[in-house]
Amino acid sequence: MSLSRWLLLAVALVAACAAGLALGPVPIAPGDVVRALVGAGEPQAIAIVRDLRLSRVVLAMITGAGLGMSGAALQGTLRNALAEPYLLGVSGGAAVGAVLAVVAGLTAAVALPVAAFAGAACAVVLVLLVARAARGRADPRILLMAGVVVGAFANAAIMVLLAGAGEGTVRSALWWMMGSVAGADWATIRWLTLYALGGGVALVAVARDIDLLALGEDAAAGLGVHVAGATRRIFLLAALLAAVTVAGAGLVGFVGLVVPALARALGVRRAREVLLASAVLGAALVVGADVVARTVRAPAELPLGAVTALIGVPFFLVRLRRVS
Amino acid sequence: MATDARVACIRRVLGSFPDWSEPVVFSAPAFRIVAAATLVASACGTPGDGRSRAATIEIVDDFGDTLRLVRPAARIVSLNPVITEALFALGAGARVVGRTHWDSSPVAALAVPDLGDGMQPNVEAVLATRPDLIVLYASNGNRAAAAAFHRAGVPTLTMHTDRVADLPRALQWLGRAVGDTATARRVADSVTRSLDAVRALPKGATRATVFWHVWDAPVITIGAGSYLNELVDIAGARNVFGDLQRPSPQVTMESVAQRNPDFILAGPVAARRLRADAQWQAVAAVRKHHILVIDTAVVGRPGVRMGEAARFLRAALDSATRERRP
Repeated sequence: MSLSRWLLLAVALVAACAAGLALGPVPIAPGDVVRALVGAGEPQAIAIVRDLRLSRVVLAMITGAGLGMSGAALQGTLRNALAEPYLLGVSGGAAVGAVLAVVAGLTAAVALPVAAFAGAACAVVLVLLVARAARGRADPRILLMAGVVVGAFANAAIMVLLAGAGEGTVRSALWWMMGSVAGADWATIRWLTLYALGGGVALVAVARDIDLLALGEDAAAGLGVHVAGATRRIFLLAALLAAVTVAGAGLVGFVGLVVPALARALGVRRAREVLLASAVLGAALVVGADVVARTVRAPAELPLGAVTALIGVPFFLVRLRRVS
Repeated sequence: MATDARVACIRRVLGSFPDWSEPVVFSAPAFRIVAAATLVASACGTPGDGRSRAATIEIVDDFGDTLRLVRPAARIVSLNPVITEALFALGAGARVVGRTHWDSSPVAALAVPDLGDGMQPNVEAVLATRPDLIVLYASNGNRAAAAAFHRAGVPTLTMHTDRVADLPRALQWLGRAVGDTATARRVADSVTRSLDAVRALPKGATRATVFWHVWDAPVITIGAGSYLNELVDIAGARNVFGDLQRPSPQVTMESVAQRNPDFILAGPVAARRLRADAQWQAVAAVRKHHILVIDTAVVGRPGVRMGEAARFLRAALDSATRERRP
């Protein structure tokens, strides 16, 4: 991809972040926003820009980048343009893991992504087993159906887990399941960044395998790829990235679907570039979606997952037509 | 996928707040006033006072159904904690054979069997207590249950108890249903007088503005449609989100900072959390430690302890304002 297009992506991300920092119910002049960022000016402005807006923007960036990369890796490896952590039930599995951890009292910022990852990994295995049983891993529609079934199961499991919980816990859990970056605190963000960076770097490192697997399993094996091992690694890394986003921001759907497709529309072909472009685009998209979520119905706030779904579902329908 | 169910679930959870579904801890001093009112009432009146055995009791309730009783109810299931509390205040506590899981006041009510939720109640569990009167909270989620109780032939009274003005009416209906309208009137008068006394206190030159913290994730507060908004008004303060019509609107943290309340009102656990939370430091009142810890046991529900709640709130605001001034 040409330098000018990378520049375009960078500009989109910077613009989204600038909007995220500058817009909100409290009008703060751009100059004051910059001053507040470096810790100068009124304490009120500093608190709003640093603790409310900046933390949201950073969590939205991690969420978008993680979902974008996860979607890109799944789409490449499965040779399926509709593969996406939310639609494949991977995010749902991660949510079950996270809710289990919360119910068990494990709410530490370091533990939640691990629990979510365990759930996401189980969901990936389950989806692939269901699809294989239907002899349809190659068929995008069967894989999708397997994902929907696993997602529905995850939903049911969460409802069962929450049945005995108090009213407040249920309210928070449901809000979290609709997706939100409102509860971003810095301790959580530090851990999420660490996990997401680890997963992201590892995915980029195995990008060559994604390229080769995209040629078909036989072709990849012919080119010296250990197909089963490589596939497993990629799926687990995709699950990890999805899990990190779920632990931080709940269920935010369709980002993993839209973003890699946009990246490819920009002319990116190689997996490494698709992954990187998806990370940047995903970050820009979710930061932008969060700006919409908290300004459109102010002083109320829309669930972030609802905003991304409003963007993502029409997109999904168009692609579904093309695939089938 | 199960999005519809999820949305319905959220509506149910959010929609029921802060009416009465929140668990509230009982506090003894708060109940004393009602207990006193009840004692006075029973000391003045003879047991038969206000009863009319012969006449059939007829009440058109909030779902538009007509409740008909040939004799005062003797086995009552109360599926609304405000009603349970009121029945005990009327001296009819011994007739309550079932309550919700969320009841907490008075302590004596805890001895009554717990039948689960009051919203979309377990119909079979309620019928199993062989009630001759079921009192149900009038919300759309309870229409199916009301219909089921009517089909089962059990007299059912649905009413909403959302606002200050709903309580005297509730007491009047309950008084008729248990055959003791005189006590009902006395309890209602006592509550109204307590509220009026707080209302009549001199208001400061500028009314303190408050933000009522109901929940964190998402941030939920009280709007014009809620009893707590009325209570804030009676106590001489102004709710910064009083312009929002919904009883329990969801708002962004930044809009709380923007409306810059003088005081934050929060329960004891939440107040501790707010002080420690980095995000809440965006609100000036939190930074300045202008957080009033509210005894949710006293101020929880629009019930017979409302007068006590208003007095408590007024006193808390007065002392906080005095501390702030110097």
